[in-house]
Amino acid sequence: MFAGKRLSKELLKLKEHLPPGISIAKSENLEEWQMDIRVLDENPLYQNQIYRLKFTFSSRYPIEPPEVQFIELPTTSETPRPIPIHPHIYSNGIICLDLLSSAGWSPVQTVESVCMSIQSMLTANTRDERPPGDSDFVSYNRRRPRDINFFYDDDNV
Amino acid sequence: MSFELKEKGNQLFKEGDYSGAEDLYSQAIHKNPSEPTFFTNRALTRIRLEKWAGVEQDARAAIQLYGPKSSTSLKSCWYLAQALLGLHRPQEAYEVAIDAYRASLTAKSVQTENLSKSVLRAKQQIWSQKESSRLREMDQTLASVEQLIEADLNRAVAELQGQLDRGDIGHIGCVEDQKALRDDAEKTIQNVREAFRISSKGEIKQRDVPDYLVDGITFEIMHDPVMTPSGSSFDRIGIQKYVEQAGVDPITRTPMTVQDLRPNYALKAACEEFLTQNGWAVDW
Repeated sequence: MFAGKRLSKELLKLKEHLPPGISIAKSENLEEWQMDIRVLDENPLYQNQIYRLKFTFSSRYPIEPPEVQFIELPTTSETPRPIPIHPHIYSNGIICLDLLSSAGWSPVQTVESVCMSIQSMLTANTRDERPPGDSDFVSYNRRRPRDINFFYDDDNV
Repeated sequence: MSFELKEKGNQLFKEGDYSGAEDLYSQAIHKNPSEPTFFTNRALTRIRLEKWAGVEQDARAAIQLYGPKSSTSLKSCWYLAQALLGLHRPQEAYEVAIDAYRASLTAKSVQTENLSKSVLRAKQQIWSQKESSRLREMDQTLASVEQLIEADLNRAVAELQGQLDRGDIGHIGCVEDQKALRDDAEKTIQNVREAFRISSKGEIKQRDVPDYLVDGITFEIMHDPVMTPSGSSFDRIGIQKYVEQAGVDPITRTPMTVQDLRPNYALKAACEEFLTQNGWAVDW
């Protein structure tokens, strides 16, 4: 498969030009990358915060979607990274986004376009809340994010 | 008996003892020269050892045994293409690889991706052979132009010497004129070299593949572009895998099947022309 070559090209392009508010935190290997994203407008929910996204790629990338979730770095760390509050983001970092599911993914998406989609998902949000059933989900879910059947019932968020 | 030798050979191959494995496969072939897998295994071993002439023989023998039209011979075709590239015969490698690539599409063989790569590799080698012979020719042209300028200078200098010997001009004037001639010739040579430098640089400066030739899935230059019903083009390798799995157009998400993919011949011609002039793009 072509995952390795495709990812090294994405990396090359990204390093040449990064969209505003997006930076590469870790990309030493072609299985897992970490990206830092920032919300660009004045949304009070996310002001002055940087969030860390973890991308995990299988050898079938980009035919299959990468696994993407937020990860938390403690406030005591040099680079603290909380999990952003959002009605589609669980407190363990799992993101409910159609684009990242096997059914919603398209191989023309890239790490860059995924970051930008998540960035705009935060920008547009006004609700200071977690998804319904967050605490249950966080305690009981052992499935991998892309195998979960989320309800994409609320396209306005 | 011969299959035991092959098994032992496979074991050595796994352990990385390629010469040992080659030897065992040779013994197996000696005992039973009509078993194609002995040849394919020895071919693969010889690829590791970069014994290209041997790879060529083995691959051809295996193709013969499998039957040239058989889909089981496609892996051997891939080995053969690698051998021909190793032997710097890219045109032959290209022909082997492109025929096998087409056959592998019909046969839905797992070799399609490897063969597709070999096609591109062969195109690249064809280009780089042309490119280096072009540069060599240009060097030769430059050398002969320089020789002409020097011959002209020597003739003019000799003429001045003759005038001096006949007493037509004085010694000081002669030395000055000779110096002026040498300076002129030196300057001319510099100008010619500069012109050659600019022209050779001009041909290689644009090392960028235009986006419309790059596949949106593999991010490589396309060599067999196909179009989806919505009108977007992709290289066959990636889109086929995606459509088989997802059953939708990657841009519009409209349901579609692999049968809905249509070759895009105009784009293919554009990619081919670009690759003919820019073989480096294969590695881009």
